[in-house]
Amino acid sequence: MRSTPLDLSSLLQGSTLEMRGDGKAGGGLVLAFQSLAALMMTDPGLHVQEWPFFSSARRGAGIRSFLRVSRNPVAASCEVTRPALSLLMDEAAARSVDFAEGVPHGGTFVINTRRTPEQCARHFRLTGRVLTVAGDDVGTRFLKHAIGNVSAYVAVATAIGGFPWEQVRDSFLASLRKRRIPEGLIARNREALEASAAAVTSGEFDFAADADHRAAPFEGYGALPVGAQTALRLSQKNRTADYARSGFRLRFADPKDACTGCAHCVTNCPEGIIRFRPDAERVLVVTGVDVSTFCKLCGECIAVCPEKLFVEAPYQEAWTEEEVPA
Amino acid sequence: MSPESTALPMLHVSTPAGERYETVIDLERVRAAHHPLYRERQTVSADGNVAAALATLQMWRCILYAGFPITPSTKWLETVAVKVAEDAHGIKRVKLLEAEHAVADYLVGAAAACRDLIFPTATSSVGLDHMTETTRSLGASGLGNVMLIDVYRATANFPLCIEGDPSDTLAHRDDGFIQIACRGKQQIYDTILQSPCLGMHPDVMTPTMPGFYGIKDSHRSARLTVEPDHEIHEFQDRWIEPCQLPGLINGDTALGNCVTSRFFQGFKLAQKRRLERSLDVLPMIGADFERTFGRPGLAYFDSVGWREAERVDLAVVSMGPDFGTFEALRPDYEKRTGLKVAGLAMRLLTPFPREAVRLKLANASAVLVVNQAHHVGRGHLTLDVADALSNLPSPPRVVSAFAGLGGADVSEDTWEAMLDGAREALDGKRTPPWRLYHEGRAL
Repeated sequence: MRSTPLDLSSLLQGSTLEMRGDGKAGGGLVLAFQSLAALMMTDPGLHVQEWPFFSSARRGAGIRSFLRVSRNPVAASCEVTRPALSLLMDEAAARSVDFAEGVPHGGTFVINTRRTPEQCARHFRLTGRVLTVAGDDVGTRFLKHAIGNVSAYVAVATAIGGFPWEQVRDSFLASLRKRRIPEGLIARNREALEASAAAVTSGEFDFAADADHRAAPFEGYGALPVGAQTALRLSQKNRTADYARSGFRLRFADPKDACTGCAHCVTNCPEGIIRFRPDAERVLVVTGVDVSTFCKLCGECIAVCPEKLFVEAPYQEAWTEEEVPA
Repeated sequence: MSPESTALPMLHVSTPAGERYETVIDLERVRAAHHPLYRERQTVSADGNVAAALATLQMWRCILYAGFPITPSTKWLETVAVKVAEDAHGIKRVKLLEAEHAVADYLVGAAAACRDLIFPTATSSVGLDHMTETTRSLGASGLGNVMLIDVYRATANFPLCIEGDPSDTLAHRDDGFIQIACRGKQQIYDTILQSPCLGMHPDVMTPTMPGFYGIKDSHRSARLTVEPDHEIHEFQDRWIEPCQLPGLINGDTALGNCVTSRFFQGFKLAQKRRLERSLDVLPMIGADFERTFGRPGLAYFDSVGWREAERVDLAVVSMGPDFGTFEALRPDYEKRTGLKVAGLAMRLLTPFPREAVRLKLANASAVLVVNQAHHVGRGHLTLDVADALSNLPSPPRVVSAFAGLGGADVSEDTWEAMLDGAREALDGKRTPPWRLYHEGRAL
């Protein structure tokens, strides 16, 4: 199903189109937004402002991108808090942020997911137009990497409308060339772009209550410890699992009871989440790892274990049954 | 033509201040060897780091780029390195050094040896702090051909923060550099083209530190108009003359001399005078830039909402890209409150343009100063503004606010809360020495 575009020209009559994207560092969100900005700039009458916001400077950390487009020079510099269009590049990012926060009812939502627009609209309680695209699958097929930014870019460009397909495609490829991507990879991106265009689905839904997706008022910082170090660094307060790379989780398995009790994993884990029991002969034996909340997949245990008992295993974000009504 | 046939005889000149070797660097050959990046005016897409890099690459006097990467200025060095590498037959070179202190030392040596060439680098936060031992000396050295681009990031701090906050540049006010703040890609590009003209002016001879906010400007993309290289050269050559020696005991030994306190004061006085002379030269360069390229040139500040000889109720003084949010909401705020509100976005931080700020703010009933860097007192900008206003017979009330520390977002709600807080001064109420604002509330 192809989507009805936003009608860019009427949107920009006397106002500014504002967009926001949520994802994780290393997931291609910045490239997608830079490419969208480049696409907008092909119209000489448009003023465009695009920038990212990084949290922790590491792969997997939460990241936001912003885009403003206007017929007039853009002076405002603050973050976009009431976007007309919101992109969720990575479903796992939605564990930490409400990607729909501040989007007015009737806004546009673009989600990189295998799920349908209706499933997403119900799950995230969205009112407005919802476009979905299985971008990671497209990435895996054409780019040998589960990265959905090509498809997300196409889905957002589709949602906005107003640009011929050739321009949408070529603008993205130009962004890649600017980054000196080899021609062979650019050819595969071209195929991914074409496949993405056919994979975008959309629908209009009304699942949000009036109070949904309103920004909570800032309540101040509360009592921070002197130096603000321990509480901010330790995962036990901070859900650092949200910083893990999407699509993977740490797995521990020791079917042959090979753990030597060297304790390298225990001492190297920055989050203190390796489980073990005392052992008379080996001092200790590792029994597992709590990956649910605090494992950020730093890979220290994988690197230090002499028996190779830790691995990164593929993982798909799970929704409970009641979150995905039939 | 072989190099030998064009080589000029070396001319050794002794001056009261030291030695010059006039033809060691053949400037005309350096100029002729420049490969233009742009032959005509173009509009490109760029973020702040790229805009800064393009400006330095287009100068024929820039042939050596020393640097050490640090977030958020890294892309300046990356961009320069890529462009230099692409130009296989070019004479420009990048020197990646082992640390920022080494970069600063390298700049001293190169700039002292080749006083008619420009030596740029870019750094941020602790990178600038690591340079401190040398930047203090550089500021006094007279080496106006050094341009240290500071991509603002909260300075050495606990906890660390990688985002844009001008506390790094403001912690280095006394290094002796001419510090110019920019906002937006075009202003970054234009300022870097003009900065060496100011620093290398024979009356000024003071290194420059143009700067812009990390992330908020360094990573924000927008349109950028780039000028043809040859027009940039013509503009710069109108201002940059063969350099006289700086006022050192021995001009060939730029740093490291030791003097008695009696003479130390004398050197500091001369340094201060050169720095303050930039207040006269800067507007002239800015005006010439505007005549040449049709865009505003260097200025003490950007003015918004001032009407000729008309009083304003509330004046805002701030700096950086967040001022744009104020600029955008100001008309609506005026309509809603019935107040006349105007603003100054500071460009020249050091030396602070006291006279110009006093003349402008004398027409205001109250002044809201928005500081974006941690300060033990009322704020760096607040103290400068209060000092500028101190000689007025009935100075406006100064209200001090902090917002955006560590590069935090300064939202429309935050701006409105700050403006509302400053209105208390208009109503004659007592205001606290300072308030910190975030997400629309005072903390």
